[in-house]
Amino acid sequence: MLAVFNVHVTIENKPGISDPEGETILNDLVLKGGDSSISKIKTAKMLKFTIKEKDKKSAQAKVQKICDELRIYNPMVSKVTIDVFDAS
Amino acid sequence: MKVGVIVFPGSNCDRDMYHVLTDVFNLDAQYFWHEKGLPKNIDAVILPGGFSYGDRLRSGAIAAHSPIINDVRKMADKGIPILGVCNGFQILVEAGLLPGALLKNTSLNFMCGWTNLIVENNKTPFTNKLKLNQKIPIPIANGEGRYYVDNDTLKKLKKNNQIVFRYEEVINGSTDRIAGVCNEDGNVVGMMPHPERAAESAINPIDNKPSSLIFESLIKTIGVKN
Amino acid sequence: MSLEPQELDDLTSKIGRKPTSTELQIVAAEWSEHCSYKSSKKHLKMLPMKGPLVISEKGYDSGVLDIGDGYVITAHIESHNHPSAVEPYGGAATGVGGVIRDILSAGTRPIAIFDGLRFGDIEKDLQARWLFKNAVTGIADYGNCLGIPTIGGEVEFDECYTNYALVDVAAIGFGKKSSLIKNHAKKGDIVVLLGGSTGRDGIGGSQFASDSLESENRSAVQIPDPFIEKLIIEAILEARNQKLIHAMKDLGGGGLSCAVSETADALSIGIEMDVNKVHTRESDMNPDEIMVSESQERMLIVTNTEKLKKLEEICKKFRISCSVIGHVTFDNMMHVKQGSKTCANLPTDVVANAKLLDRPSKKPAYLENIEKEKKLKPISDYSKMMMKFLAAPNIASKIWVYGQYDHEVGIRTVVKPGKDASVLRLDNGKFLSAKIDGNPKHCYINPREGAIGCFEEACRNVVCTGAKPIGMLDHLQFGNPEDPEIFWTFLESLKGITDFAKYFEIPCVGGKVSLYNETPTGPIKPTPIIGILGLIDKAPLFSHKIDAGDTIVIIGDTKDEMGGSEYFEYIHKFVGGKCPVVNFAESKSHMNTVLDVIGKGLVKAAHDCSKGGLAVAVSELCMTYQIGCNVSLEKIPGPKLDVDRTLFSETHSRYLLVVDKKNLQKLDGLLKKSKVSYKMIGTFGGENIRLNKENKPIIDLRVDKAQKTWFNSLRELVVHG
Repeated sequence: MLAVFNVHVTIENKPGISDPEGETILNDLVLKGGDSSISKIKTAKMLKFTIKEKDKKSAQAKVQKICDELRIYNPMVSKVTIDVFDAS
Repeated sequence: MKVGVIVFPGSNCDRDMYHVLTDVFNLDAQYFWHEKGLPKNIDAVILPGGFSYGDRLRSGAIAAHSPIINDVRKMADKGIPILGVCNGFQILVEAGLLPGALLKNTSLNFMCGWTNLIVENNKTPFTNKLKLNQKIPIPIANGEGRYYVDNDTLKKLKKNNQIVFRYEEVINGSTDRIAGVCNEDGNVVGMMPHPERAAESAINPIDNKPSSLIFESLIKTIGVKN
Repeated sequence: MSLEPQELDDLTSKIGRKPTSTELQIVAAEWSEHCSYKSSKKHLKMLPMKGPLVISEKGYDSGVLDIGDGYVITAHIESHNHPSAVEPYGGAATGVGGVIRDILSAGTRPIAIFDGLRFGDIEKDLQARWLFKNAVTGIADYGNCLGIPTIGGEVEFDECYTNYALVDVAAIGFGKKSSLIKNHAKKGDIVVLLGGSTGRDGIGGSQFASDSLESENRSAVQIPDPFIEKLIIEAILEARNQKLIHAMKDLGGGGLSCAVSETADALSIGIEMDVNKVHTRESDMNPDEIMVSESQERMLIVTNTEKLKKLEEICKKFRISCSVIGHVTFDNMMHVKQGSKTCANLPTDVVANAKLLDRPSKKPAYLENIEKEKKLKPISDYSKMMMKFLAAPNIASKIWVYGQYDHEVGIRTVVKPGKDASVLRLDNGKFLSAKIDGNPKHCYINPREGAIGCFEEACRNVVCTGAKPIGMLDHLQFGNPEDPEIFWTFLESLKGITDFAKYFEIPCVGGKVSLYNETPTGPIKPTPIIGILGLIDKAPLFSHKIDAGDTIVIIGDTKDEMGGSEYFEYIHKFVGGKCPVVNFAESKSHMNTVLDVIGKGLVKAAHDCSKGGLAVAVSELCMTYQIGCNVSLEKIPGPKLDVDRTLFSETHSRYLLVVDKKNLQKLDGLLKKSKVSYKMIGTFGGENIRLNKENKPIIDLRVDKAQKTWFNSLRELVVHG
């Protein structure tokens, strides 16, 4: 039995690698807007996959494999976080 | 008669615009840094192209919050001619002074090249010396230049004669081939192509007269004698 | 990061004690091939560096040429090959950033960018396509954001770059001679670090660039921030206008280690600095990391305490950080402290001057039989073959690339990209023409003649705009110099470039050597790149429309020189043969003659004959100006050759001139007098490109169809595969 899952792939710069866009949004927009409770903003790109698989684990593995093999992210610079949700 | 050229962090066509205003059209132009206010004796305001704040978040989105935009808004209300070119157009849109949005080109690439504009409204302060349907050879240079409005707004724009320029051909997926629009009063104009890059014969390989008329329209409007 | 054992001994004996860990890091960075040029420096001295227009000052990273009326242009070339091979977007972008800061260091505003890109076979290789696409986007996003037009370059694909990338970036600056920074330092002066924060990105980059690329050693990635770079440019130029800068240097390979030691060494001073004063991105960075971090968008400035306040105000206006990290001393020592603790204390001349090597060289074995040709398969349909050739990635129009670069910003671009060379107008009414050229296929077959050919081709390109070459940039890219055969190819290329430069009295105003360019399958082909700056006193040759009836005149003989030609390699998959050889005397007389007839207004357009030979050069004219032509192959001057050789030989020193009938007689007279070999070979008109032999077309193509293929094939390949 295959079920449908929504898989969210978040691609962001690895820790320690700078994120100029996030820094600009923080410093030139949010902090200038006066809200000092925010300490960090990081930009990321999200891809939403819809996939048929037998369970969450294999959905996650499949998407991870696709991301690695097709260089959907560049492992030199970025990391991916994969979250799986039931489609219903 | 004074024309203000606003400079944001990352503006990069400010010096080109200033050169054309002063050296080519003998206007009295002055730079204004985005953190400063605009004096009352300004007769026209130009927001030049570039990459304000590195185009981060969305083109123009951060610059639209600059302190100087409040003064631009006041001037817009008073009917003073305001022109936004390229990133300047994006900033005016993000500030809500012009309708619509500018999205990534359909090619997803930055596009630099020459194209033709068609004049759709020759009643604005920047087009009143041009003829309706006149062709303007002009360069574009942008990554987020695809003008977008929804159907209802498009109808409104047409009804109020707010479409100022169209591209002659489909080049980037803009709604209804729109390249430039104005506000309801017609004094605030935004356009993606660069008239300051086309107004001199030395750098215009086709014909510099139509683009010159954009600046001559402004001169006519603010009453400088040639 | 580490030193070779004998280098460690050398350092220990020079300073008379065991070096500290920070000292080891600093010296390893500065003594790397990338920073020290230890393999090449001895030999580079042969290049002519002086000339009547050259302005030499200590500590400049870019060449400076006096172009009269109180104005100067500056120029420099850099590469970013290793970083681009692993992260093409960031690698290519930060390559642009680095060379721009070199231009800025002299106190001039950058006004143009050029890029030379080389990748594997993009028709077959998906990785090469990915590298190409992202490197182009990286350059576009960086240069466009800075508002500096990218107005020229070249793109080439060759299997020798499989899994690798050559990304060369050249930049030109312009300014007043009186505004040049005259690097100097006085007692009590302070050292300021300005720009982006120092982070862990790019640690060990210069060392990385000096090693062959191994998959596990790919950690030195730098993140581009063009917005900060733009703000730095404006801040520095404002500080220059207010005369706040005593000396300046950009932070590139080797980070603070190299910038501090080289500045101190060039100015014969010492610098004492405190790593705690460096504004860092992460709080837990140790002194070693801070000293060798290659975080981008940073400048080192020497100023004094009175001027500091104004400098700080400017930095505040442009929202960039600046920190006083140290001060000038007069003990010629580079003293690095963390608070009160000394981390390194080294004589600057020891740090800045690695022991130069004299590497052995030996003629490569592969050259033994390289000139032997194989029998070619006969071509049954030249028109069909030609259509395929026009779509070949190395021949096809590069509009997909330069269409993504803002080449108009700055409103100086008088002759736009897509022609032989772009031309910029300058504030004194003169014009600057510039071009970069390389040809690894020729250089592989004959490193000396190939390099000379690149030099001559770049000259031809600027000559076609009416410009006289006044300065040269060289960028020498080779494999591992420890291999004597590779080092031999380096020396041969360098000698060839030197001979040509001396003969033509074109000084080398800047250059760069990039070694250890090795791919998993071996070294790259020798890839020297030559950039030429040309000056036009009055008006450039504007491209006029070509009309039916205009005549095509060729200057120069076509010889049997097919080795390394695109035709041999792309159509016949054959690497070998005899590569084109430049005859210096002929070359000079052709250049002078072409400049003379352009100056006299007798020519509508001029185009050089290079990659793809005469057939491609004629087609390019037709496709660019959208008009057909009829050319008679038997009129082509030179030894009698078969059709393939006449059409596709890549003999140098050849120019195509487009001439209005009314000027033909006058031109004929001048050419006769100049004694160059030339012929009227055909006329323009009609809708077909026709190259005829005994009145029968050998090649017959509809111009519009050919143009569509030529314009679109590269984009089709990249976008749709």
